[in-house]
Amino acid sequence: MKMAMAWGCLVPTRRSLIGYEAATRKVLNHLGVETVDIPNETCCAPFWMQSLDFTTSLAMAARNLAKAEEMGLDLLTPCSGCFHSYMRVNHTYENHPEMREKVNDILAKADLRYDGNVESRHVVDFLYKDIGVNAIKESMKIDLGEIEIGLRYGCHMLKPSDLLNIEYSERPRFGDELLEAVGVRCKEYTGRYRCCGGLLRGTQDDVADYILHDRLMDAKNANLDGLVTVCSLCHIQHDMGQKSIKRKFGIEDLEIPVLHFPQLLALGFGYSAEEIGLNLHTVKTDGIVAKIIAGASKGGVKK
Amino acid sequence: MERAEDIKSYKPDQPIQDSDVQSGFKYEVAEHVGAEGLMRCLKCGACSGGCPVAAVTDYRPRKVLGDVLLGLKDQVLSSDTLWLCAACFTCEERCIQEVNFTDVVTVLRNMAVREGFAAEGYMEMAKRVIQFGRVSPLTRQVERMRENLNLPPLQEPAIEELRAIMESAGFPEIMEAATRRSKTV
Repeated sequence: MKMAMAWGCLVPTRRSLIGYEAATRKVLNHLGVETVDIPNETCCAPFWMQSLDFTTSLAMAARNLAKAEEMGLDLLTPCSGCFHSYMRVNHTYENHPEMREKVNDILAKADLRYDGNVESRHVVDFLYKDIGVNAIKESMKIDLGEIEIGLRYGCHMLKPSDLLNIEYSERPRFGDELLEAVGVRCKEYTGRYRCCGGLLRGTQDDVADYILHDRLMDAKNANLDGLVTVCSLCHIQHDMGQKSIKRKFGIEDLEIPVLHFPQLLALGFGYSAEEIGLNLHTVKTDGIVAKIIAGASKGGVKK
Repeated sequence: MERAEDIKSYKPDQPIQDSDVQSGFKYEVAEHVGAEGLMRCLKCGACSGGCPVAAVTDYRPRKVLGDVLLGLKDQVLSSDTLWLCAACFTCEERCIQEVNFTDVVTVLRNMAVREGFAAEGYMEMAKRVIQFGRVSPLTRQVERMRENLNLPPLQEPAIEELRAIMESAGFPEIMEAATRRSKTV
């Protein structure tokens, strides 16, 4: 199995997100998935750019799709924003044939063409559907059974389900199923499916803070060992944003580690916390990692 | 924008007059890709009920839809309110009439930008993309961290290709229209 990787703008360039890339690369490699990076990947033109001009944005996203199409590969991305943008291109092609022509007229000026033959996939959905729970379970070296986390599906991996076609977003299960299969306890808690306000960062910072405050309080009240995210914006908000929420709202004891979904799997596969960038997160992850290791040394090591 | 707990009344400052209404506005909006569902809106308010921004401010998607259907073109396009949607798509997921409000917001924002009203933050991000090919450039510090993690060097984005695409799509002209008024949101 070979996939063209679209890493996005944020994942490879932000301190707390490069661990997402490192863990994704390790997990895919470990599971025998061959990957090739989309050459000279450019901005996928997500919702904020679509807000300025929809047609320009489609053509910008189609540039990376065209590169995957040239290689004859489907596209895989860990970033929900990128996933959303790429799904939008094919969806618009199918429903508005005139847009297909328009986009290709634009692309022609850059000597590119995109015919809509690339399927775009989100890493977490890919792990669940294409690799499968059993194959992942069999690759585990450490039992993750000591921890209870809050899995956040975020918005742009699932909504709207008519566009993204993974699972209806109100009570999704596939991510929980995958983590539970490797021993992690996923807690159902108030607010776990709600928006983090990430897309308002940089343009409506106050509102983004109010929303994030509510999400962090939801997580705090749920008494979790940590949060797990599948979206770059969710992680930026909950991890990097946590300090400023603490200060702004005067919350003393707010210290929730936020892990990227593949980081948990990589720990289970036996990679060290440093190898997958867990030491680079803003909120320290030592506690949750120590808990996993302690659990493993109590007899949880499987092989 | 007011915080939810500060709201005293929903009565507007003054009643809407005939002169405020451009009755063709909704048809104009519904012609765009993404806004085809607009006329199906029943104004039931499910969009407002699930909206994360409505939970913390006085922003209400139903109010925006109502204003569009009524024909308050100038008010809708020039209002800061238009830039409050966080694009979580919950309203779109829940709307029984498949109005696709988030996509309607995109159409309205595209129209607003051409009238000279654009969120300054998003304009700045677009400028960064034109300059660097990506919205967040790589710093030397993160580059070193990537090396420590044994990540491959990050490839230079195909900036010339991207600029050709944006120019061919007419984006520079749109940016110019957007900055004609020095409106900041």
